[in-house]
Amino acid sequence: MMPDTQRRKQKLQTREHLIEVALYQLAKGGLVATRTSDIANAAKVAHGTIFAHFPTREILLDAVIDEFGMRITKRLHELVSSNCGMKELLEAHLRGIGEYEAFYTRLVSEGHLLHESARNSLIMIQSAISFHLIQAAEGEMEACKIRRMPVNLLFNTWIGLIHYYLINGDLFAPDGSVLERYSGQLVEHYMNLIRKD
Amino acid sequence: MKMCIACGMPMKTQKDFAMGDEKRDYCIYCARPDGTMQSYEEKLESMTGFIVKTQGLDEKAAQNAAKGMLAKLPAWKV
Repeated sequence: MMPDTQRRKQKLQTREHLIEVALYQLAKGGLVATRTSDIANAAKVAHGTIFAHFPTREILLDAVIDEFGMRITKRLHELVSSNCGMKELLEAHLRGIGEYEAFYTRLVSEGHLLHESARNSLIMIQSAISFHLIQAAEGEMEACKIRRMPVNLLFNTWIGLIHYYLINGDLFAPDGSVLERYSGQLVEHYMNLIRKD
Repeated sequence: MKMCIACGMPMKTQKDFAMGDEKRDYCIYCARPDGTMQSYEEKLESMTGFIVKTQGLDEKAAQNAAKGMLAKLPAWKV
């Protein structure tokens, strides 16, 4: 018989594997349209195995979004130093989401169709990002490097620009990554908008 | 990397921890001036205010989101 610790370890590994496969499948097929059976097939497990780990589809979706949120906020923390300037932060933000571009795009374009806790997770992710951006922005406003403006509009203008390009990726970069193609241009443009002459 | 049990922030350097004490499980933003951890009500109020200030959401919507976020964190999980 398998010892308890080994069984727990194996259970944890299966759970992590399912989350990893789900991240990929949901990015590919969409958060609303992907079926749990698609994820089970891709993970090469029985359909019931999914529900042994995640009792409902919503719970699975929450676990995947939370895992994504944790990775992206940790990555941002790794990429930024405490005295990072606004431009470096915007670049780090795009590098962070660029690693999961397809999933992030699905999350923001389908966000309003998802259940409440999934939407809350997206607000939490944006909270972590805005925390860094606004900390830098307030410093640069104080130093007269960028214009004074309400920080929510500063943040939403940036997010709105990025999301518009991502959601319409089929028009902006039909054959590849939106962020690889436009990151430099978008950061430059946004800095020009907020920079103080 | 350790994460704050009360708000989820990753704590990378010593100054991210409450009172600069790396043995603590909560961050500088979740600590009161005397170093003790803020209560649920204090955290809910400050998190709601933070979302309104940084993302411009309606106050009630922000409070709902903050409640949902806090419910997932180890310090407030039921």
